[in-house]
Amino acid sequence: MATAVVARPVARPQARARDEEVLVWPDLVFVEFISAMVFTLTLFLLAFLINAPLLDQANADVTPNPSKAPWYLLNLQELLLHMNAAMAGVIIPTIWLVILGAFPYFDREQEGQGQWFGTEGAVKITIAAGLVGFVGCWALILWDSGKLAFFMHDWFGISGGDRLRFLADVRSLQTQLPWPDWSKEITYLPFNLKLLSSDAPGGPTQFQHLDFPGWIVEQGVPIAVMVGLPCIMIYTMWRIGWVETRRDALLALFSGFIGAYGVLTLVGTAFRGQGQELVFPWELKVSEGIPGQDAGGH
Amino acid sequence: MAVEQPTRPTIADKIYDKMFHNYLWKSIFRTGYPNTPRNQMLVVATNVFLHLHPTRIHRTHVKITHTYCLGGLSFFMFLGLTITGILLMFYYVPSVDRAYLDIQNIQTNVQFGQLMRNMHRWMAHAMVILVFMHMMRVFYTGAYKPPREFNWVVGVILLVLTFLLSFTGYLLPWDQLAFWAITVGTNIAGSAPVLGPKSRFWLLGGLQVGPDALIRFYTLHVIGLPLLAAIFMAVHFWRIRRDGGLARPL
Ligand code: HEM
Repeated sequence: MATAVVARPVARPQARARDEEVLVWPDLVFVEFISAMVFTLTLFLLAFLINAPLLDQANADVTPNPSKAPWYLLNLQELLLHMNAAMAGVIIPTIWLVILGAFPYFDREQEGQGQWFGTEGAVKITIAAGLVGFVGCWALILWDSGKLAFFMHDWFGISGGDRLRFLADVRSLQTQLPWPDWSKEITYLPFNLKLLSSDAPGGPTQFQHLDFPGWIVEQGVPIAVMVGLPCIMIYTMWRIGWVETRRDALLALFSGFIGAYGVLTLVGTAFRGQGQELVFPWELKVSEGIPGQDAGGH
Repeated sequence: MAVEQPTRPTIADKIYDKMFHNYLWKSIFRTGYPNTPRNQMLVVATNVFLHLHPTRIHRTHVKITHTYCLGGLSFFMFLGLTITGILLMFYYVPSVDRAYLDIQNIQTNVQFGQLMRNMHRWMAHAMVILVFMHMMRVFYTGAYKPPREFNWVVGVILLVLTFLLSFTGYLLPWDQLAFWAITVGTNIAGSAPVLGPKSRFWLLGGLQVGPDALIRFYTLHVIGLPLLAAIFMAVHFWRIRRDGGLARPL
């Protein structure tokens, strides 16, 4: 019997409030039935009106331009354009999923549970953080695509001149700054270090070379941005008294994520044209590719 | 309480009685038509499908604006996808020579084939969206908090499985869209440090998307992942009951 179980340190289910309960049949079953019917009808209608896409048969020699992953992965494909591939495609999503799964182990207060925005100021935090994620992500994408510098120059006549050229996009931090030569080839030992090997000279002594300016662009800035900006946001909200509990901090983090994730998915889906150029959705064209030719040209 | 006066049964009453109180009906459903509280609870408790529910539930949780039925609809999409998926399997052979032609065949020669394919496709998209929105609803209602920690974790696993189910299905039509989307997608996976190239090779059964990839994706899509998802859904639903139903304020 359950009573034999020793009291656990984790929370137990709440006692039921029987006088507040209604019967599942009909009250819940009815609602479920209606929503299932509405969905069935809507999907039937959709299926009658719009056909699932079917392009030409797969052909490994013909690359469409742009080639895109399914839409729910386009957020990652978008990230990929801005940083080291392993980081964007695997490490960040994995870390984020772990953080997401750890939410309940971080925020264990019972306050506000089972209620939409049940804590004080929850709506405020959600909207603010959502906007920060949305606007911030757009701004970063525009910066990294060079559009920000372009708008500044073409629309407002503001130009940073040569001195600020290194700010035109993230890559310019690498190419437009006078990095000394040694910084582009910093010797270090990777995991497969062979230094201690006693083999013949010229043998397995192995060093790898770190291109520091490249590292800054591919990993340094992205990590700083993705770890730093949420921290700054939550810290600021804490200083102005919006974020007080762990729940508040998670609200800010999660809502910021939703904002940024939405922008990444949207941009990857609707704003990336040939060669993954940033374009407006109505300018977006897909070249199906011609066998034996690079699909970019016409 | 007023005592009910017996009245003479009308025609409707007689038909009703014949339909729901005959031997055959009762052999299947045990109870009569659930029109009394007792029968209503019995029907939920004794029916294997309805038994996923408790017999009684807190009144705030039947309000549509509490859950927007998002979890239930995710599950409903899963069921619908299973049904339409089985119908598609009758006609589809996962070989590079046949896959594309089979899809064309389904669209042009099979009765309701195009409709089935469309349904399967749009339901798959709907499920991804619904599961994600369900996660948002759980988060913003603070329903992940103790004692529901682990069910949230199970949920995150279900989210990943939903993505994977959708992703593996994407390749099966074997058209340009499918081929290149999976090429891009598996390249992303392949970029992982240490395990990346190995896991990409393992997923594709080779170095690029080809016949072996097709059969692997097919197997994962029609049996491997649905089985896993079903198991985790069973755990998910069981835990909801064990954790005392849906979360509600203290
Ligand atoms: C295949 C995917 C999923 C299915 C079929 C599913 C199904 C359900 C259903 C039917 C409920 C009952 C209440 C409702 O409808 O909202 C529920 C509750 C719940 N789900 Fe899911 N779910 C899925 C994915 C997820 C995900 C991705 C998460 C979170 C990351 C999650 C976390 C939870 C939690 C914590 C509850 C309890 C909510 C409460 O107590 O109010 N589930 N799920």
